[in-house]
Amino acid sequence: MARERSWRAQKVIERLEQKVNRQVLLSLAACVHCGMCTEQCHYVLANPDDPTYAPAYKADKLRKLFKAHIDWTGRAFPWWVGARSVYTDEELEDLKDTVFGKCTNCRRCSFNCPMGVDMATFNRLARGLLVHVGIMPEGVATVAKDQWEIGNQMGVLKEDYLETVEWMEEELQDEFDDPNIKIPIDKKGAELVYTINPREAKYDPRTIAEAAAIFHFAGENWTMVSEGWDMTNFGLFNGDDELGGACARRVYDAARTIGAKRIVISECGHGYRSTRCEGPNWSKTDLPDIEMESSIITMLRYIKEGRIQVDKSKNSIPVTYHDSCNMARSCGMTEEPRELLRLVCSDFREMYPNRQQNFCCTGGGGAMSMAEYAPRRLKSAKIKAEQLRATGAKIVITSCHNCVDGLTDLIKHYQLDMEVKQLVDMVYNALVVPKPAPKVEVPVAVAPGEIPAKALAGYKVLVIDDEPDVRTYLRVIFKDKGAEVLEAPDANQGWRQIRDQKPDLVTLDLVMPHKTGEKLYWELRKDEKYKNLPIVIITGYGKTDKPTVRFHEFIAEKGIPEPNAFLEKPIDPDKVIETAIQVLGTRIPSDQIQ
Amino acid sequence: MYETSPLLHFAEDTLQIAALAFMAIVYALKIRWILKFPAGKERQKPTAPPGRDGRKGALYSLAAIALPWAMASYRERPLRYVQFAVFHLAVAASILMSFLIPYAPETIASPAAVVALQAIFAAGILMGLMRLWRRLADPHVRAISTPDDYFSLALLIVWLGASIAAAPNAREVSETPLLAYFFLTAFFLVYVPFSKISHYIYYPFSRYYLGKTLGRRGAYPLANPAAMLKPES
Repeated sequence: MARERSWRAQKVIERLEQKVNRQVLLSLAACVHCGMCTEQCHYVLANPDDPTYAPAYKADKLRKLFKAHIDWTGRAFPWWVGARSVYTDEELEDLKDTVFGKCTNCRRCSFNCPMGVDMATFNRLARGLLVHVGIMPEGVATVAKDQWEIGNQMGVLKEDYLETVEWMEEELQDEFDDPNIKIPIDKKGAELVYTINPREAKYDPRTIAEAAAIFHFAGENWTMVSEGWDMTNFGLFNGDDELGGACARRVYDAARTIGAKRIVISECGHGYRSTRCEGPNWSKTDLPDIEMESSIITMLRYIKEGRIQVDKSKNSIPVTYHDSCNMARSCGMTEEPRELLRLVCSDFREMYPNRQQNFCCTGGGGAMSMAEYAPRRLKSAKIKAEQLRATGAKIVITSCHNCVDGLTDLIKHYQLDMEVKQLVDMVYNALVVPKPAPKVEVPVAVAPGEIPAKALAGYKVLVIDDEPDVRTYLRVIFKDKGAEVLEAPDANQGWRQIRDQKPDLVTLDLVMPHKTGEKLYWELRKDEKYKNLPIVIITGYGKTDKPTVRFHEFIAEKGIPEPNAFLEKPIDPDKVIETAIQVLGTRIPSDQIQ
Repeated sequence: MYETSPLLHFAEDTLQIAALAFMAIVYALKIRWILKFPAGKERQKPTAPPGRDGRKGALYSLAAIALPWAMASYRERPLRYVQFAVFHLAVAASILMSFLIPYAPETIASPAAVVALQAIFAAGILMGLMRLWRRLADPHVRAISTPDDYFSLALLIVWLGASIAAAPNAREVSETPLLAYFFLTAFFLVYVPFSKISHYIYYPFSRYYLGKTLGRRGAYPLANPAAMLKPES
């Protein structure tokens, strides 16, 4: 006799059959139960004796259902391959406990799975199946309801939001004694729409003010919006594609109404992933005319373009960086935050493991809204606490609001002597204001055209570049300003010249045959004698590669400091000289590096 | 000159071809079944930085199994990678041998070749037993193991044992080892499409799709996986 099945269980099965696509099917079918994912999960590390926390075990909860109803071997020989259907609401509650309470969808297991099983994706699908029949943690239901009904996941009313923005505008005007600082709302024709996490409006409005100050001093034509300002998306966490699509569409529509060319997403891991990557899929929207970027990229661009000036010595407390799972593993954003941090902080310490191998803050996947699982979450944060403690940093920076909350909680729980900040806090704190916006590569007081004729007299400059034309060009430029110029066509000869001739300044190309400029730079920075030798990187773009990006990844991986300056070809002679003056003005005298 | 018995001739030729044909048909059906499910599409613009894209991500992902240093799971437990590699190598060698014995016996006729094959199979058995022991002893792995997981592993260990006996191809001495080996091979070929052993059919698909998505978003290829895990000494 067929076993009776509850209405909910029946609906879950029907919906599973509708929702499985090829990627999910393959992830469900491909697992070989090798168990290599086990120790990659922070829950397992905190609960080593409980196999129910292992990623493959958790994944099997849905996999058994898949095998029982979709997989043909599972339907033919269910016992043999571990297929099992669901019949009761209690079984669905048990599934809820696993997919909401024992997994943050961080995706670390997938990066360490030999078969490429994407567990986070189908864990999200399992959440969606349960949400569809009303089975979910209460907090998840509340947040989703707020996002559907009020338009943001913290239920911030429009009036309160606008009042907060106005308040922050007044704060900024007072702080800088400048009534012209504005936080525009619904400004038609703005180039850029800035979208935020409602947590900022509700609990942390200073980040809105800080971002506004950065936009103001960068001279940006920007605006916030009165509707569609929440870039977070609970659809990512509760597996509801319809909610995901509705939230994303609100943001896109707001930008279209303004006529903006760019949506800037404040520092929020899941908001960034949802708005930029998943949103177009859920909402079935193509956005050919609107670019989307994280505010990390925006701030970095402002600094690189010289639109804002920063002084890293203002942030001298040791800091470390926590990679948000959604940023690093699901969106590949690992180098840009580090590049920005190195520009605005003077003591950055890498955390291990990091980037795509980092451990979750344990507050991801909507965990912060599920109070019933808080003890479990904090227990699982042990590995994260150990990671943080090992850095010796006093501040942990993260570019995600969930991570801010998750890390703050665990810092308190494990009594770490640390605080959590975001990149916007650090950039704001390092801002040099008010000043006309000089280029950061050339932050000198000497205006173009006012450089003294023999400004570099008495200095020895070594040009390392494999292109003879470039060497000749730079030689003429430096000689014209009185410098003694040495040349080297490759990195090895450059090394010899540095040892023998003791130049005051080195210009270094990155792309060279045999030994690259990166390698030489690394060797110099490792060498006690030459670690402070002023070096200006002068490089160009390859056809398919961007050496600057690669270089920054390289120095980030090696943990070596930024060069004294960075210039891109084609070479602007004024800029080269201005940079050289700037760098030599702060150099360590030659006798100290010999 | 020794004349092969009709039974062995059947086992090493007709039976193998029939089993292979059966396996191919089931695999074709299986791939057709996979392709019936629509692939999720990525509408968003690529977000990867220069040098990374979906194609590179997919290629990297497909090669991931050959990059044990890129996965913390293998990096932290290199012996498991050795187990994986040796075991799979032994299985591949035995599959190859099932073709060489009937159709090109001279290629593995030398004593050195026989000893080399037997050594590979013996190493494969050892690794298989270690894997089986882990499946039985480790509560995490035991909790996820199905009868198919145990049977598939045991089947391969037994099959590798038969491979050792069959490797000399000494039919003139006794046909029994060869008969055991070829009947087991035929069973293996018929059973594989219904078991977890068919994971290699899924591997290219699952890795391709994961890599394509992560590559398009810039998370793959990993720039320097070793540096992510530990500070460089």
